[in-house]
Order: sequence, then structure tokens, then C-alpha cells
Amino acid sequence: MKLILKIKDKEYAVEIIEEENGVKIKVDGKEFAFGEEEGEEKILAFRTSLPKRDFSKKEIKTPIAGTISEVFVENGEFVKKNQRVLTLSSMKMENEIVSDFEGKVKGVLVKKGKDVKEGDILIILG
Amino acid sequence: MMKIKKYKIVSSTNALAKKLRKTQPWQVLLTEKQTVGHGREKRSWFSPKGGLYFSIILPKSKIEDLQTLTILAAFIVAKIIKDNFNLEPFIKLPNDVWVNGKKICGILTENVIGKDVKFSVMGIGLNTNIDRFPGELKDIATSLKIELGKEVDNGKILNQIIKHLKKQLATISE
Repeated sequence: MKLILKIKDKEYAVEIIEEENGVKIKVDGKEFAFGEEEGEEKILAFRTSLPKRDFSKKEIKTPIAGTISEVFVENGEFVKKNQRVLTLSSMKMENEIVSDFEGKVKGVLVKKGKDVKEGDILIILG
Repeated sequence: MMKIKKYKIVSSTNALAKKLRKTQPWQVLLTEKQTVGHGREKRSWFSPKGGLYFSIILPKSKIEDLQTLTILAAFIVAKIIKDNFNLEPFIKLPNDVWVNGKKICGILTENVIGKDVKFSVMGIGLNTNIDRFPGELKDIATSLKIELGKEVDNGKILNQIIKHLKKQLATISE
């Protein structure tokens, strides 16, 4: 299997060859062999899996820390795009949070009076 | 050139701005009276004829810049009071201005936020030409007229506030 790996701005040509005794990986022409007998010398590689994200869930997050002053939606309710879902009072401002998606409310994670920090998930739509 | 829409009476200029929504940045909504003037957490703001009550539609900005601008608005109002009338205002953070131990100005910024800031309006209530406050407010609120013993020019103060806000937002969003 041949592939091009791009890390930051640099591209690497990578070839993975399965052999009887193990796997051979070629990176830009340099060969690295991994056989069963080399099990003791395994190279520790960074795990590069992407963070798990469930794209079927639509999360409404707060861009600002504050206190929830009112919640306007409840579980099971259908929310339209740009519909107001809650208001959040920060030290200097009153903020109406509107939904960027449409969908059914799967979870309301906050209630009136709760303090939230920037990035917290407020509501999950399905 | 300032765009000012004038009203005789509205519920609140911030509420009206949020309802109109499609107005241009720096559009000013000015009213003589508010029936439901309010501050944060819906605390009411006494708004009889004589005071300066207006909302400014703010350009789309980063939420942090809007926060900074709201604090700066209190400084701007305080400076204008000091420079024009030689009073000693006190800024009660985050966004009130006091004179002689009593509240004279309140500022409330309201935002509509989705993935980013969709709409922002800053409402300012400044007690200018108010003769007296009713019972429960008498000990906690004051006006420029009460402090100075004479009327002030609302239009001139409004112009100064807008001019300084524009300048400050340009500086902080650079």
C-alpha cells in the first residue's frame, strides 16, 4: 500500500509492504522492517488517531463564560436554525444563544443559575 | 455622519434594536422615554422624559472585544461627565457610573450568538435632565441636572459618546 503522509507542510511517501515475517515500511526510500523477532525493539510511535467526534450529534456550545439566565427549550423539542435556545448573562453582557443547526433536542446540559465556562456544551441536538 | 433614529416613546431601545435586527452598524436608536427600560437581569431602569436613552448597533466584532468595549463605555461616559461638567464620577464595574455616591448611568450590551456573534447592541441610559427620582430611587440615583442645578445638552453628550466608542472599538479590534 502506497500513500502520501502530510505532516505540517512536509510530505512523506510511505509504502507499507506485508511480508511473510512481518511488515516493511518505506519512508522516502528508507526501509524499516518490523518482524516478529524484533518484537522486543518495537518503536514507540505517537498515536495519531483523530479525536473521536460523533457527527450525528450537533452540540451548541457557549463561546463565553457566564451564568445561564433562562433556558427556552426542552428535551424532545424540535429546534429550528437561528432559534433562541437560552440566555446567558456574563459579567458585562446579556447574550442570547441561538442554534446553528436544526434538530430535535437530545439533551439540555444546563439549567437556570448554572455557571458555565467558555466552550462548555449547553445543548445537544440529534 | 451619524445615523440617528428618534422615537418619542419605546419599550426599550435595546429591545427595539433586537427586533429590527437589520439595522446598520453604528445606527443609533434614541428615545425620549422608555416604558420598560432595563439593565442586566431585567432590572428596571427609570426612564422618564429628560434623560438620554439610546442604543447603538455595534459592528460585528469578536466577543472579547465587545466585552472590553462595554467596560470602556463606562470610562468614556465618566470622562465626558468629568471633562464637560467638572464632576467627579466613579466607575462601578462592570458598567455603571456613579456621581456623589449615586448611580447616574447604566450600560447594557446584548448579543445574539450562534457560531459567532450575529448581532450586538449597546444600550446606554444616562440621567441627564431628570428633575427628581421617586421614593425608592431618591437615595440611590441622581442626574446631571440635580448635581449641576442646570440642564445639559443631550445631543452634544450623545455625539461625544458615539465618537469615543467608535475610536475605542477601532483601537481594540486592531
